[in-house]
Amino acid sequence: MWLYLLKRVVLGVAVIAIAEAFLLLMIHAVPGDPAVALLGPQATPEFRAQLHQQMGLDKPLVVQIVTFFGGLLRGNLGFDVFSQRPVADVVFEQLPYTIELILVSILWAVAVAVPLGCYSAMRRNSMIDQAVGIVAVATIAIPSFVMAVSALLIFAVMLGWLPAIGAGTGFADRVIHLILPAFAMGIGWVGYISRLVRASMLEILGENHIRMARSFGLSEWRIVTGYALPLAILPTVTIIGVGIAWLLSSAVFIEVVFARPGIGALIVNAVRARNYPVVMGGALVTTFLIVTATTMSDLINAALDPRAREEL
Amino acid sequence: MNNIASGISRRSFLKTGAALGGGVIAAGMPLSQVIWAAEGKLLKVRSMEDINKLDPGFYNNSQNVDVMNCIYSKLTRYKPGSEWGWELEAAEKIEQVDPTHIRFRLKKGFKFTGGYGEMTAKDVKFSFERAIKFNSPVKVDWGSLDHVEIEDDYTGVIVHKTPFVPLWYITLPFGAGHIMSEDAVIKATGDGNDFGMTPPAFSGPYLLAEWKPKQYVHLTRNPDWSGPKPGFDEIRIIPISDPKSAERAYQAGDVDFTWVSLDSLASFRKNPPADTKIEQHPSIQYHWIGINVDHPKLKDINVRKAIQWAINVPQILDVAYAGEAAVATGTIAPGLVGHRDKALVPPEGDLTKAREFLEKAGVSDLTLTISVESADAALAQAVQAQLSQIGIALTVDVQESGSFWTLGMESEGERWKELQLFFTYFNSVPDPHYATVYFVSDQVGIWNWQRFRSERYDELSAKAATVSDPGERATMYYEMQDLMEESGAFRFITNGSTPLMYRTTQMQAATRPDGRPLYNDFGPA
Repeated sequence: MWLYLLKRVVLGVAVIAIAEAFLLLMIHAVPGDPAVALLGPQATPEFRAQLHQQMGLDKPLVVQIVTFFGGLLRGNLGFDVFSQRPVADVVFEQLPYTIELILVSILWAVAVAVPLGCYSAMRRNSMIDQAVGIVAVATIAIPSFVMAVSALLIFAVMLGWLPAIGAGTGFADRVIHLILPAFAMGIGWVGYISRLVRASMLEILGENHIRMARSFGLSEWRIVTGYALPLAILPTVTIIGVGIAWLLSSAVFIEVVFARPGIGALIVNAVRARNYPVVMGGALVTTFLIVTATTMSDLINAALDPRAREEL
Repeated sequence: MNNIASGISRRSFLKTGAALGGGVIAAGMPLSQVIWAAEGKLLKVRSMEDINKLDPGFYNNSQNVDVMNCIYSKLTRYKPGSEWGWELEAAEKIEQVDPTHIRFRLKKGFKFTGGYGEMTAKDVKFSFERAIKFNSPVKVDWGSLDHVEIEDDYTGVIVHKTPFVPLWYITLPFGAGHIMSEDAVIKATGDGNDFGMTPPAFSGPYLLAEWKPKQYVHLTRNPDWSGPKPGFDEIRIIPISDPKSAERAYQAGDVDFTWVSLDSLASFRKNPPADTKIEQHPSIQYHWIGINVDHPKLKDINVRKAIQWAINVPQILDVAYAGEAAVATGTIAPGLVGHRDKALVPPEGDLTKAREFLEKAGVSDLTLTISVESADAALAQAVQAQLSQIGIALTVDVQESGSFWTLGMESEGERWKELQLFFTYFNSVPDPHYATVYFVSDQVGIWNWQRFRSERYDELSAKAATVSDPGERATMYYEMQDLMEESGAFRFITNGSTPLMYRTTQMQAATRPDGRPLYNDFGPA
C-alpha cells in the first residue's frame, strides 16, 4: 500500500513536470504577445520589451524551464502579468469555487444515479427501467452548456427563483448560487452513472455468490446493498476519478455562463490574454487535481474490493 | 402553472426551500445584496471584465478607470451627456497659458484617506511625472510632458516640450489624470512605482470596500469626500464577460445596468424588460478592412481600389452587426473633431467601378486571403461573397485573437509578409489623434499593418496634435483620412455602437457620449 502510494506520488510528480514543460514549449510555439493582448495599439515596443523581460520571455527556453521549476520548488509561481499579484494567490482564490462546483455536481449526480441504476437493474425491462433509460440517454446527449443556459432562463429569468450569476458570499448564499450550475453540470452524469450502475448490477446480480445469498434467504435489499452494490460501484468510482478532468473542462462553460469565479475560466482567459504565468500556475493545479483524483479513485477501489487491494 | 410560478418570488422560493431543508439554510442565510434585489441606495452594474490594475499611473483598460473615477480625483472629469465635454473636478481653475503650459489651481479641502492630508500641487506633480519616470505604458497619454512646476500648495503648471492638445480629452479627465497622494504611494512602494491592486489612499467619492476577484467590486461612500454627494450609498460592479449571460443577469434582476449585444438589441427593443430604458450610443472605436500595400498581389493601387469599391459596407453591417451600427466615414467617430461627413468611396461601393479598376490592373484569377479573429468569421464571409462578384477568390483565414493581434508585427516573425487583407478594430479615446496616429510611417510593421506610407500624412499627424483650434485641426484630420482612403489600403466599416439598458426604477444612468458609465453621476430613480 505504502509502496503503491509512493509510486503514485513519483508518477504524479513526473506527470506534472512533463505537462508543465510541454506547456512551456507550446507557449513558445503559439504566436501572440501579452503586452499586445493587454494594451492593444497602446503597447509601445519599449513597453513590450519591458514586459517580455519581466516575464522572462527574452531568455532562452531552457532557462525559462529551469527558472519555472526552480521557482516552483521555492513555492513561487511567478506574478500575474497584469495585476502583478502572485500567481499562487490568483489561482488559489479561484480554485475553491471550481472544486465546490465539481464536487457538488458529482455528488448529487451519484446520489441520484446510483439508486436509479440499482432500481433499473432490479426491475429490468420494466416501464420504469425503460423510462429511466430514455431520460438517461437524453441527459447524456445534451451538452452541459445548453443545460446551463436553459436552466438559467427557466429558473433565474422566467421564474426568478434562483440567482442567475455569481458565486455568492457566505455559506448559505454560496449553496444557493451553486444550485443551477451544479444542476447543469451534474445532470449528464446522472444519466451516465445510472446506466453504468445498471449494467454492472445486472452483471453482478447474475453471479454465483448472489445466487448463493438468495438461496440463504437473504432479503433482496440486503443482497443489493450488502453484496451487489459494493462490487457494481467499482467501475463508477474509476470513471468518476477520470471524469474529474472532463468536469474541469465543462466547468469552463458553466463558469462563463453563470459568471462564476473558477479556475477553468481563469485559465481560458489567461490563455487568450497570453498571461503565461497564470496559465502555467493554473495548469499546474489542474494537473495536480487530476492526478490526485485518479489516485483517490484507485484507493477507494482498493478499499471496496479486496482483489484490487491485493494488486496494490 | 405559469401564473403560479411567476407569483413565487426568489425570496419566497428560497425561504421555502430553506424551511424544507430543515431550517439549515435559513439559519445561516445572509440576506446578501448579491441575491436579493437592491434595497436602499445600492447601485448594481455590470462590467465587461474584472479589474486588474488600480494604479492610474499604469492603468490598462476602461474597466479599471471606471473604478478609479469613483475612488480617486482628477483635475477635470468628463461631462455626462451626448456631447463630449469636460468640467472641473479637483481643479478650481485650469487654463492653457501658452501652447506648452497649462496652469491649474486645486480646490481646497480634497482629502486623501488614511491621514495623508489634503491634495496639493506636490501630489499632482508626483502623479503626472511618475508615468514618465517609470516608463509606464500610460506615458503615451502624456505626450511630450516635461515636468510639472509647483507654484504654491495648490497651484502648478503642467509643462510640455511641444504642444499636446489631446491632453484635454484623453489624459486629464481619464485614467492617467487621477491624482495620488505622494506620501501614501511612496510609503506603499518605496520608490513611487506601480502599486497594482492595493490603493494606498483614496480621494474620490467612494472607497474600495471589497474586491472579490472575478465576483465583484464593492464601493462605499467616502466619509472624507468634500465634493458633490453621489447618488448611491454603495456601488457593486459585477464582471460578466459573456454578453448573453449579462443580459440574462439583467433580466433576472442581478444587475440593473448592462450593455446589450447588437444581435439582442432588436429583441430587447421589441420586448423590453419591465421598467427598462434602452439607449444606443455611438462608439468611438474604428473598424476597418486593411490591405497590405507591400504584398506583391496588392502592390498595384488599382487592385486595392477594386477591392475598396467591391465592398458593400451596409451589407456587411447587416451580416455582422445585426444592422445596428452606422457606416463609418473614416477612423474618427461621429462627435469628435475631424469626423468626416462622408467617405470618398460610397458605403455601397460600385461593382462596375470595381471591375474597371481590376481591368486597369490587368489582373485576372486573383486569389487573396483575409485574416480575421474567430468572432469576425461572418464578416469575412460577407466580404468573400462580395469580392467573388468581381472575380476575386477570397480565402478566409480565421485566427485566435492572441495570434491575430501580432499578425502584422515585424517583431513577431515573418507572418507580416504573408498578410494580405485583414479586418480589425481599435478601441479609441475621445480625441482624433488616437484614431490616426497608428497609421504613420513609423508604425509600419508595428500597428500599421497596411504598411501605408505618406509623408504628407506623417506631417499632418504630428502637426494636428499641436493645434488647438478645432476648425483648423478638423481640416487636417479630414485630409489625413482622405489620404488613407486614396491609398486604397483602407475600407472603413463602422465606428461601432454601444447599446445599453438600465432599470428606471433603480437609477438614472449617466454616461459619456460613447456609453461609458460615469457612476459618480448616476442618480437614484
